[in-house]
Amino acid sequence: MLNASTSDTPLVKMVDIHKQFGGIHAVEGVSVDLYPGEVVGVLGHNGAGKSCLMRILSGAMSQTSGEILVNDSPATLNSPQDARSYGIETIYQTLALANHLDAPANLFMGRELKTRFGNLDEPRMLTEATEALRQLNPNFKNLRDPVSRLSGGQRQVIAIARAIYFQAKVLIMDEPTAALGPSETAMVSDLILRLKSEGIGIFLISHDMHDVFELCDRVMVMNKGKNVGAFRINDVNKDDILSLIIKGTLPEGWRPRGGDQ
Amino acid sequence: MSDDAQKSRLKFLPTGSSLHKLSALLTLALLIVVFSFTSSAFFSVNNGLTVLLQTSVIGLLAIGMTMVIITGGIDLSVGSVLALAGVVAGLLIKAGLPVFPAMVLGTFAGAICGFVNGLVVTKMRITPFVTTLGMMLVARGIALQLTGAAPISRLGEAFGTLGNGSFFRVVEMQANGFPKVVFPGIPYPAVLLLIMALLGAFLLKKRQIGRHIFSVGSSEEAARLSGVNVDRTKIWAYTASGGLAGLAGMVLMSRLVTVQPNEGVMYELDAIAASVIGGASLMGGVGSISGSMIGAFIIGVLRNGLNMAGTSAFIQMIIIGVVVIGAVYIDQIRNRN
Repeated sequence: MLNASTSDTPLVKMVDIHKQFGGIHAVEGVSVDLYPGEVVGVLGHNGAGKSCLMRILSGAMSQTSGEILVNDSPATLNSPQDARSYGIETIYQTLALANHLDAPANLFMGRELKTRFGNLDEPRMLTEATEALRQLNPNFKNLRDPVSRLSGGQRQVIAIARAIYFQAKVLIMDEPTAALGPSETAMVSDLILRLKSEGIGIFLISHDMHDVFELCDRVMVMNKGKNVGAFRINDVNKDDILSLIIKGTLPEGWRPRGGDQ
Repeated sequence: MSDDAQKSRLKFLPTGSSLHKLSALLTLALLIVVFSFTSSAFFSVNNGLTVLLQTSVIGLLAIGMTMVIITGGIDLSVGSVLALAGVVAGLLIKAGLPVFPAMVLGTFAGAICGFVNGLVVTKMRITPFVTTLGMMLVARGIALQLTGAAPISRLGEAFGTLGNGSFFRVVEMQANGFPKVVFPGIPYPAVLLLIMALLGAFLLKKRQIGRHIFSVGSSEEAARLSGVNVDRTKIWAYTASGGLAGLAGMVLMSRLVTVQPNEGVMYELDAIAASVIGGASLMGGVGSISGSMIGAFIIGVLRNGLNMAGTSAFIQMIIIGVVVIGAVYIDQIRNRN
């Protein structure tokens, strides 16, 4: 899988990204790339700059300097709309849902389906949303309720459905399982593997080491805004990653751990 | 199958907002019944049409106000913008322009005030409360400065048509040669209100801009991340509010057949009260035009009924204040459940 994918051009390549807030360097010279059908874990403790880096890629924030290449051509991502036009979809940790609106309205927020006369096409949005949500969770029934009344899992499903409904090529998932119970977490893991097999590239921000080792092909660890290590998942173990996250360096005398086996 | 069952269940059970609307409608009915007992002249065709006429100005303001409130903002400038729009139209007529284009330009002047509100709120990032409070003073100041605080009168009979004309007016000549009004007709302002309310409801419910207004009010951050142009949506809502305030100005000044630069003081509070009584949430994301229209009529009927019963204007202020607080309190209780 890894060898096959590296021969392609990367879906996304971020080169030497810097982000400054006043005098604070949130992201300093980070480069990362993502190939089709690959899951890259972006790790680091809170404030390490991983969310900031991903927000730059999703168009919610713009970089101070550095370049983003989508399919090897430079891309300017000034707004979430720009990112979406390149097929980059994001599932935010906060889910970015409008609590007073129902599931279809949230799924199509900003990209409402319209009839010939430019009116909102409610029936079609409802059918499409029903289908998209049932694929992820067959028990999803109360579609017309405001999403504030739904469970954490259902809300997560809406946020995920919103990203994949529009045929994402690159998916950014920010802590997708943080608010979920065990069965829902398993559902999200299955989904990630399914999307991966369909050739979608996924950036996974996670704190859960179990998820990371189960799902990721590669990991990148950030510490104080810098990229302190990018590895194939087979080359590292939990302790290596924790050391990178906490200290920013690998343990003494580290050698790649059986990546070639 | 379960789909159909669910749909029919939802149709029978009123949801939160329609429950609120229902209770507001019941309040309105109750008020009408009570006032019918306190004053014999209250429950008559003539008085009904008077209420319709009196409520149309507040109703027009409430349509725009509701849109702004749903975005999570507030527009305190509508009363002043109403006066400025009237002054602009009056001065243009004095300058020789015919009534209709002058009124269109007056309404347009209101929309420009709203547009400026929108720009200040979105681009300068000043809170809606402060922005529109500033515009309230600026618009009133311009209106008073332009006219020297004096009313503009002798605007011609045509200027009074919009506010005083009516459809289906039936007048019968009596044997003694005096005309007798059989049916006073449906006043133009009421018809205008109906058209604008339907248009507003259509925009809010069926068009993308309406959906975006709700999204922005529900969660501005979510709307922005989902690709909604938040600034454009807000500017649109404030411009609509300003334009409707301008239109309300035309109706009010036309009814008086005189432009009064100091008309419309505190009208914004009636409009806000109408929206809130009708179920709009000042936190944003919730509200409807139909609810706000019921709210406007509750205030209109309350004013009219209290007048007919001989209640003083001061007592009326107290009662309406208590009603607004009560409506918001009931809404909160409902939301907690």
